[in-house]
Amino acid sequence: MTGAQAMIECLKNEGITKVFGYPGVAIAPFYEGLYNSDIEHILVRQEQNAGHAASGYARMSGKPAVCVVTSGPGATNLITALATAYADSIPIVAISGQVSSDLLGRDVFQEADMRGATESFVKHSYLVKDPDDIPRVFKEAFYIASTGRKGPVLIDVPMDIQNRELRKNYVYPEGVSIRGYKPEIRVNMNQMRRVVTALNQAKKPLVCAGGGVILGGGQQLVKEFCEKFNIPLVHTMMGMGVLPKKHPLNFGMLGNNGKPYANKAVSRADLLLIVGARLADRAIPKPERLEKRVAVIHIDIDTAEIGKNMGPNIPLVGDVKDIFEILTEQDIRVTDMSWADELEEIKHSTVDSRVFSDRFVNPNTLVQMLSDKMDDDAIYVADVGQNQLWSADNYVMKEGRFLTTGGMGTMGYSIPAAIGAKFYAPDRQTVAVCGDGAFQMCMNELATVRENGLDIKVIIVKNNYLGLVREYQKNAYDSHYEGVALGEWPYYERIAEAYDMPYFRCSSTEELDEKLDRFLGCEGACLMVCDVSGEDNVK
Amino acid sequence: MKGIFSVLVENRDGVLSSISGLFARRGFNIDSLAVGETDNHEISSMTIISTGDQRTIDQIEKQLNKKVNVIRVRRLNEAKSICLEMMLVKVAYNASNRSQLIELCQITGAKIMKVMPKHLLLEYHSDPEGVEDFIQMLKSYGISEIQRTGPIAMEKG
Repeated sequence: MTGAQAMIECLKNEGITKVFGYPGVAIAPFYEGLYNSDIEHILVRQEQNAGHAASGYARMSGKPAVCVVTSGPGATNLITALATAYADSIPIVAISGQVSSDLLGRDVFQEADMRGATESFVKHSYLVKDPDDIPRVFKEAFYIASTGRKGPVLIDVPMDIQNRELRKNYVYPEGVSIRGYKPEIRVNMNQMRRVVTALNQAKKPLVCAGGGVILGGGQQLVKEFCEKFNIPLVHTMMGMGVLPKKHPLNFGMLGNNGKPYANKAVSRADLLLIVGARLADRAIPKPERLEKRVAVIHIDIDTAEIGKNMGPNIPLVGDVKDIFEILTEQDIRVTDMSWADELEEIKHSTVDSRVFSDRFVNPNTLVQMLSDKMDDDAIYVADVGQNQLWSADNYVMKEGRFLTTGGMGTMGYSIPAAIGAKFYAPDRQTVAVCGDGAFQMCMNELATVRENGLDIKVIIVKNNYLGLVREYQKNAYDSHYEGVALGEWPYYERIAEAYDMPYFRCSSTEELDEKLDRFLGCEGACLMVCDVSGEDNVK
Repeated sequence: MKGIFSVLVENRDGVLSSISGLFARRGFNIDSLAVGETDNHEISSMTIISTGDQRTIDQIEKQLNKKVNVIRVRRLNEAKSICLEMMLVKVAYNASNRSQLIELCQITGAKIMKVMPKHLLLEYHSDPEGVEDFIQMLKSYGISEIQRTGPIAMEKG
């Protein structure tokens, strides 16, 4: 058996049925192995999108998804997707071809030091130097990607290692033994008792949920906890969906792009229970002020997240499910209804003073109407920019999923991630929403959508600007707009025609209802452009 | 404050750069770093000394622990630890100050490893402050070359 064949066997042993990739000579032996296997290869149109597609797939399956690229530029193109998955804690196993091991370090054609280049963007990486290491390396890679705080793992395999015969018989290891990696953490009951005491002392406790709750499968348990003890919740962008949007204890997204009443909830609380969130600058701009005023409990699976951006009074490390299973059974005083009532009152008295142009489509109405019309279990993939913030602000999650990159904020995420999600859940309605900037970073993937007959609905929120940067320049630089005008290009109708997709255009809020019905009712992939005023802002 | 870390890592290629890279990209200082194999040739031991505020030192420990190739991180208590550094140094001498220099070596315990026509090659080990002091004493003679290992440390008891 060759190294390449062993790689295929490893993927089969991990239950991998699909890989997203882009071939090249340095990974050709592996592709020969794919040719002879049942594993389906999905050809994307640029390597970064193989990573994003794997991210979309992994977020739906909860297990590591695989992307494959060749050496040199193929591999470096993937780095942005790895960085995105790392920032968002998405389990991916990335396989890259590498020049022959005897040529390493000589700067030969298409050589790039991928281990070095990705060091800060992956959870771990391997450069395989012996084909007999392949089973162990793959077993470890899948284990590391999917346990503890999840994330991407890179396996760089030189071409000669792929071609060389294994000396030993192929055996896929049953377990792993990595001296320095022990992700199972038993809940510290002393800390748990301190948490309970703090909760019992608090009059205005507030849960602040991040993406870690969803990644750890803890939504239901956190919901039960909030309901049982009557504790209100706010969330980060990645924590959308921990509680349904219209849940009476859900007070929305916090942060400088969030709801003003969510931030008021944070400032009025006397105890913050942070769960699976790193509270980066977008969520809490001035953590040092907050930590002086309020007691903080920080629950995370990653010890290093605790105290990184904000100093907690009580850290509690562990798996969100383990912790909330125990926490919900503790003797905790039910929080007085007056606290949730107070927040409800703030919520109702918050006046939205934003003005939207009535000549174009109101982006808030667009997302609200869209989420009303979408299936209960639909997948909504939001790109990055104003469209992401309008989406997060207005999307009403039912039983579905809201996928976006809140950590890295990578433009061009939506269409490839939607492709990955759709491959995992072909029966679920999938809508990608992007701005005209982000669309042009990933529109090449419409070919992948069409080639694979994927029913993905793509909405372009078009305002002819890189809107969020424009909005920033408006506020921070006295409307000195520089480098943000996209102009009218391209002719989207012709893009749709080029990919043989039905095309819809909606230029006013009045048309939305009817156009969205037709768009969503359309069979197969289709493209819809919604004209939004360039003057419309998020804040 | 000062953080002294004793770190056991897998003795594999890329591990040292991965650890030093961690310090670089998170903006942590490395005051010194000394590495060597342990009795198990698959495991290396590092002594890393860093300075920063409490939060930074805590973060260094946590981030080191996150590394898959890091087996164990211990933060050493300076007061309860033996901390030693070794130095090789070439010092100039002449007829008038030679005996004075040799006497200094005897008092401080520095070893004369090689006598050359114009220089003595000395070996000296001590705690890091002692090494600094000794360097100061040698300066008046003229130091032509110096090599320091960086401190290694171990907790007593």
